[in-house]
Amino acid sequence: MPTYIYAITGADHPLPLGGLHGVGDPPSELRTLRTDLLAAVVSEAPDGLRAKRRDVMAHQNVLEALMAGGATLPMRFGLVGPGDDEVVAALDREADAYRERLAQLDGRVEYNLKAGRDEDDLLREIMTESDEIRQLNERTRARGSHDDRVALGELVAREVTARGQREAEDVAARLADAATHSSHAEPAPQQFLNLSFLVPRAETDAFVAAVRREAEERGDAYSFTLTGPLPPYSFV
Amino acid sequence: MTLVQQSNATSGGSGSGNLYDVLELILDRGLVIDAFVRVSLVGIEILKIDVRVVVASVDTYLRFAEACNRLDLESGRKAPSQLTDLVGDMTENGAKGKSKGALTGAVEAFSESLQGKREEPEEEPRKRPARKSTAGRQSQRGEE
Repeated sequence: MPTYIYAITGADHPLPLGGLHGVGDPPSELRTLRTDLLAAVVSEAPDGLRAKRRDVMAHQNVLEALMAGGATLPMRFGLVGPGDDEVVAALDREADAYRERLAQLDGRVEYNLKAGRDEDDLLREIMTESDEIRQLNERTRARGSHDDRVALGELVAREVTARGQREAEDVAARLADAATHSSHAEPAPQQFLNLSFLVPRAETDAFVAAVRREAEERGDAYSFTLTGPLPPYSFV
Repeated sequence: MTLVQQSNATSGGSGSGNLYDVLELILDRGLVIDAFVRVSLVGIEILKIDVRVVVASVDTYLRFAEACNRLDLESGRKAPSQLTDLVGDMTENGAKGKSKGALTGAVEAFSESLQGKREEPEEEPRKRPARKSTAGRQSQRGEE
């Protein structure tokens, strides 16, 4: 029977899993596999498992509960081993690496910050600062060919991308001191930032305050979404 | 300024709002073990590919061109370029309750959900009436 894996923890983790269940319908039962040094939280892997809301939620619920109990390595959703024996063998094989990572993550949580900027505000800035784009804009506004419009749009698209990257780097630099590590990911459409931070649990208030300051300083044209504390998905 | 603050993805009643924002972390990040398989994420991967293709297409260029043509540069003159203006503007807007976003009272809720507790402080709007939430996704239980 294949084994679905949620997380790896140290052997001394309290594993507070009361009231929780695993993926699948009906929900699978959570179990623990142990070696001398490590523990893995697993369940049976249901047939035909997909990334359905119910199952993603179940995965995330297990990880949030484990995170509250101590250092946890969150597995990516949907990871399935051939069976319990193979999971235990993997724990043994990688024991040193897992222990080291657990030590690094101990007492730390992830926050994810997404940010976008009002498009008109950004386009105005681009147009103010580029003569070429401004002139093309005037021309295409009056009449202008299809090619002119494509040329204008391409120039603008390039600027939008470049400025987004610069702003993402800028935000990352300004928040760097408030976190232990950070990790960029692909921003969503219309956004320029998708950045995860690893933050010491004892310093989360200061981190949140730093994000708030950053959001305030950037003004109304920007929108920030901060989510956390989360299991450290981006730092395993 | 807009800062929507969310405690973790599944606490907060229905849990429907926040999951979307951490979906890619759960599906794309996290540890894997070599030689173990992952379930199919077919539909989700297609969505992501679509996003990337669209960024560099003629359709996108034409949309940008149209957006630029539509812009009223004159009224945009006061567009933010200086930090001090921004902050002043932001404060005023906030005081009028015009701020389009939400700064939620979730800060306090953070530490509670961290402990796995679910006590709900009284449902009084906290401190910041001017910034009362307008976004639907934050985690004020009972509202969702």
